[in-house]
Amino acid sequence: MRLPGSAVQPLGEAAWTVTLGDRVERATHERVLALAQRVAAEAIPGVQELIPAYAALTVCFDPLVADADALRLRLARLAAVASLPSESRTVGPSDRLVRIPVVYDGPDLDFVAERTSLTRSQVIDLHSGREYRVYLLGFAPGFAYLGDLDAGLVLPRRREPRPRVAAGSVGIAGAQTGVYPLATPGGWHLLGRTGLRCFDPARHPPALLQPGDRVRFEPVA
Amino acid sequence: MIEVLEAPPFATVQDAGFGSGRSWGLPPGGAMDPLFFSLANRLVGNPPNTPAIEWALGSGVLRLTRAARLAVVGLVRIQLNDVPLDPPALTFTARSGTRIAIEPDPLHRFCYLAVAGGILVPEVLGSHSTYLPGGFGGFEGRRLRAGDRLKLGKPLRKAEETITLTLHSGTADPPGDVTLRVTRGPQWDSFEPRVRESFFRGRYLLAPASDRMGYRLLGPGIQPRGKATLPSEAACPGAIQIPDGGQPIVLMPDGPTVGGYPKLAVVIQADLRLLAQCPAERGIRFREVSLEEARACYSPAR
Repeated sequence: MRLPGSAVQPLGEAAWTVTLGDRVERATHERVLALAQRVAAEAIPGVQELIPAYAALTVCFDPLVADADALRLRLARLAAVASLPSESRTVGPSDRLVRIPVVYDGPDLDFVAERTSLTRSQVIDLHSGREYRVYLLGFAPGFAYLGDLDAGLVLPRRREPRPRVAAGSVGIAGAQTGVYPLATPGGWHLLGRTGLRCFDPARHPPALLQPGDRVRFEPVA
Repeated sequence: MIEVLEAPPFATVQDAGFGSGRSWGLPPGGAMDPLFFSLANRLVGNPPNTPAIEWALGSGVLRLTRAARLAVVGLVRIQLNDVPLDPPALTFTARSGTRIAIEPDPLHRFCYLAVAGGILVPEVLGSHSTYLPGGFGGFEGRRLRAGDRLKLGKPLRKAEETITLTLHSGTADPPGDVTLRVTRGPQWDSFEPRVRESFFRGRYLLAPASDRMGYRLLGPGIQPRGKATLPSEAACPGAIQIPDGGQPIVLMPDGPTVGGYPKLAVVIQADLRLLAQCPAERGIRFREVSLEEARACYSPAR
């Protein structure tokens, strides 16, 4: 049994993945973000990008610049510190609260209501009635995985993914919710849509949401 | 200008890809075969990371509206105004109005057409690469179509200052299996030793559903012990994901930046182009190497 924080595994020859847990939970994610902050603050030569996820941080580096083995040891040490209970408290909830206006007229609203034995307005109330946390970005540029969904709305994803989901669609799947930033195939249940652009190649940064951000969905007519 | 008269089934403008963006979901993208791509550019005197046309899956016809020096890297047959290039050259100068017909040999999935001066497309997120899943980058974020007119840059060198390469007129060796070197993936320990052995003993073929995002492999099924998914975490081109069905998927340059399937191994960066180019009938095998060996072959994409 490895101690939490001691698992630094290679992701190819140019990245290390530091695993801090094996499940989706807020405390683990806070430690991931705390570790990302520490690694960023050290400005290690050759480190190119940090990819925080639910329970792991991946550190991408240029093997021609960084000393890979030294970096692995350094990450293991930083991870051990990040695992201390005191450490996660240094990274509180993000100061940033992003409000996303949503027109709740999605094609799956009735299906979700039926499956959850709720009314449409109850589904909308549950979805818009809490603050979410951005766990990670991926799947498509700017796609933010938000959690945690009210337990009453948790459903498996659609059996048949749609070949094309319009940009701005707001969906749910499992304990997650999110906004499709681009028109892509998608298997989430669509509750509504927003006019807010979650991804814009011409903007800096191009993604509207960042890991750790707080998000609220606000129903609009 | 270079004009598309008959569009090949799959051609896009590519360069070496996006330098950053993985932290917010943008994959590295760029040429599937970085070696052929940069070689094509060097042959016409361009800097190696100049936008060029990545060409796949079939033939097409282009026309130049001004004289230009071109290089096509990859096994292809070229006709200029319906006359085969003689000798069959990789580099040639074509006059204004020349019809350039290119028919790729199935031995290479991707060939690269570079023009002296480069293809002029707007820079998006620090790159000129087409990112098809997002519909941006390259030429209008899409595949080339008949009627497209691509602007050309000013050549840095005169034609006589560039190298002329001619294809060897022998026949290519019949392709044997390709062996790809891999390093252990982050979830290596999630697979029983006997399962890993069957992976390394196995011979895989490419499934038809393979594209710039991922190559699906058909061959011995691989099952992890315990549950088959983990909380999504970073992935990378070359990562060998094992989905529920047990048939491996190797992520390619446009593949997702995160995923929840366990990653048994990662194809080393130097060998990923061999997979990218692998013909359908060619067997694929894997061999484990150390991270040190992988790093000794590493070269930056950009």
